[in-house]
Amino acid sequence: MTSKTKWKPTLILLAFVFPALLFYSIFVLAPSFGGVWYSLTDWNGLNPDYDMVGLGNYVEALTEDRFFLDSIWFTLKYVVFMVVLSNFFAILLAVFIESQKRSKVWFRTIFFMPNMLSLIIGGFMWMFIFTKVLPFIAEHTIFKFLDQSWIGDPKLSFYALLILSLWSGVGYLMVIYIAALQGVPQQLKEAAAIDGANSWQTFRNITMPMIYPALTIGLFVTLNSSFKVFEAVFALTGGGPGRATQVIALNIYEEAFSQSSRYGYASAKAMILFLIVFMITIVQLWIMKKREVEA
Amino acid sequence: MRKKLELSFIVVLMFLVVVGCSSNNNNVTPVQSDNAGTVATSKPEESPAEPVKVELNVFMSYPQYKEQFEAYFDQFIAKELAEKNIAVTINTEMPNSDQAKQILQTRLASNDAPDLFTIHANDIPTYYNAGYLSDLADQPSINSLYEPIKKTVTFDGKVVVLPLESSTWGYLYNKKMFKELGLTPPNTLDEMKVVIEKLNTANIPPFQLAFQESWVPQLMTAQSLGGVVSSKHPDWITKMNAGEASYKDVEAIFDIIDLINANGTSKPFEVGNEAGAADFANGKSAMWVQGPWNADAILKVNADFEIGVAALPVSNDPKDTMINLSTSTSLALSSASKNKEVALDLLNYILDEKDSSVLFEQLKFNPISTVHQFKVNPWVEESSAYVAKGQAYQDLTLPNGVTDEQAKLLQSYYAKSVTKEEFISTMDKTWATAVKAAAK
Repeated sequence: MTSKTKWKPTLILLAFVFPALLFYSIFVLAPSFGGVWYSLTDWNGLNPDYDMVGLGNYVEALTEDRFFLDSIWFTLKYVVFMVVLSNFFAILLAVFIESQKRSKVWFRTIFFMPNMLSLIIGGFMWMFIFTKVLPFIAEHTIFKFLDQSWIGDPKLSFYALLILSLWSGVGYLMVIYIAALQGVPQQLKEAAAIDGANSWQTFRNITMPMIYPALTIGLFVTLNSSFKVFEAVFALTGGGPGRATQVIALNIYEEAFSQSSRYGYASAKAMILFLIVFMITIVQLWIMKKREVEA
Repeated sequence: MRKKLELSFIVVLMFLVVVGCSSNNNNVTPVQSDNAGTVATSKPEESPAEPVKVELNVFMSYPQYKEQFEAYFDQFIAKELAEKNIAVTINTEMPNSDQAKQILQTRLASNDAPDLFTIHANDIPTYYNAGYLSDLADQPSINSLYEPIKKTVTFDGKVVVLPLESSTWGYLYNKKMFKELGLTPPNTLDEMKVVIEKLNTANIPPFQLAFQESWVPQLMTAQSLGGVVSSKHPDWITKMNAGEASYKDVEAIFDIIDLINANGTSKPFEVGNEAGAADFANGKSAMWVQGPWNADAILKVNADFEIGVAALPVSNDPKDTMINLSTSTSLALSSASKNKEVALDLLNYILDEKDSSVLFEQLKFNPISTVHQFKVNPWVEESSAYVAKGQAYQDLTLPNGVTDEQAKLLQSYYAKSVTKEEFISTMDKTWATAVKAAAK
């Protein structure tokens, strides 16, 4: 092997990714590094003069900013609920759909559909359901408990938020799990059936272990995306009432664009969110790599 | 051979990408001037000397009034050509008011300032301190402004913007409903309680609450704080800025806020501004702490609705019941403008003696200057009566971010996740932070 043949494929590959890389660097990488820089300043987004404040923004965010810390806690709560519930429902739906014969494609399309809608639009649809449809149902049927202030009561609006996020997110995970379920060898199930296993035992001891790799993916996809959740909250509650449902991304957005225009400070908060997501991703890659070796 | 072909193909592709990007950038300017060209087509050919060509960039957050303003600019172009022999082309940019501030700030920060641009009068200090505004004090248009309105746009002893939209507002009430129940707008808190009592017995929720968008509940603090501060604590804002006062001093604002919250429509967080306007127009409530800028939305739902505007009582002294006088969108001249004279001509033309009345009437703006001679809506007359009686105060200038914080806290306060004490301490802290940030 000469070096000449070695660099050539690399060059060709580089050339292929070049256009994408160019746009990626201009529109994603460069602003990100800009964000790191601004997070160390007190820039207000307008004034050409600004000062370096070192790590002051970070210290303030993590020690003094009650609302930011609250939003981190709220996001964590949301993440826990989302990771558990969305994977649970996704597997449930995937198993249900795989057990169908003719209507398989039909159901798969229906459950995947919400994922193709923009979350903002979905948010407005659900807003209508929560504020108009449910009270209407409560008024005309026996389901009186539906007449709640779904958006206005801080306790209920969390569940309203979960319902919207699950509705839009589960379809995507479901497709991942369907693919995994289709990869479970039929002969294993047959062997188990011959040994007298019932359907729960088959699912627990054969299907589940076979789809663990997909479960890892599913867990981390939800973990990452629910830390960064924004549109769902923005469209449905706007973080309200007050700040009762404010997530990290919304807190950052309001700091930068609507409250006191503290761009530098908001950038620092964004960096903190980035570090959280970054750590999760590192752990994810590490675990996935380990699994690959085992497999 | 084949590899070489592939490679050269890739190189060509890359080249195309690069060229494609750069040519896109170049395209931007010609497109704009194309638009401008259509505006300035009415050139009389007989003018003796070749007219001087001047291009103006005008940035306004008024997409809804694009037609009116462009027609008005056409008049200006004709006038300027006839009087000064200057051929002006005006490039207008009218983004949605939601995004306008962002776009404008980007323009200014990147040294691409439009010659004239609109800002909110409350943002004057920010833009002034960043050096983007110029002094307009000796312009004829500014001299014709009504004195109370001129005061709303004066900062640091200078008049730095030309007000466009100004409003007098307190709360809206359903005139017909008040007449039927034999009520008149109350002047004190106790009178207000009586009115609320009567409305409750008539089974009408006294106040419309539409708290989904936080700026609507915020109007309650704008009114109550304005009333309390202007009547009893005139130096409160100065003291707050010096860190010597607290919201505790103006705790009286909660008297009326609590009264409104306790006597409002149900489920306020599920009602947005539009939905609130519809409910109010359909008589589902009697009063609404809102400005007359919602008149259109209300009349669209119920064209026969009789809008009343009254001042919100904040204490038991009828003299404290005052109307809020404020200026929102204003036109500023960029300090970096290359064609200041022509830009100033246009700015002055906005309040032209002959043509301005027609424009302001079309836009349904309130009269702001002595040049304005047109008949106003009945509710504007009603609220202007307060100003005439001297029962008006200048909208408070609060530091950046304070208003937004009040809005959030009022939502939480209604939802009972924040107590009065927490409200006060958080606001004190927010104010201090804002003052500190502005001092830098």
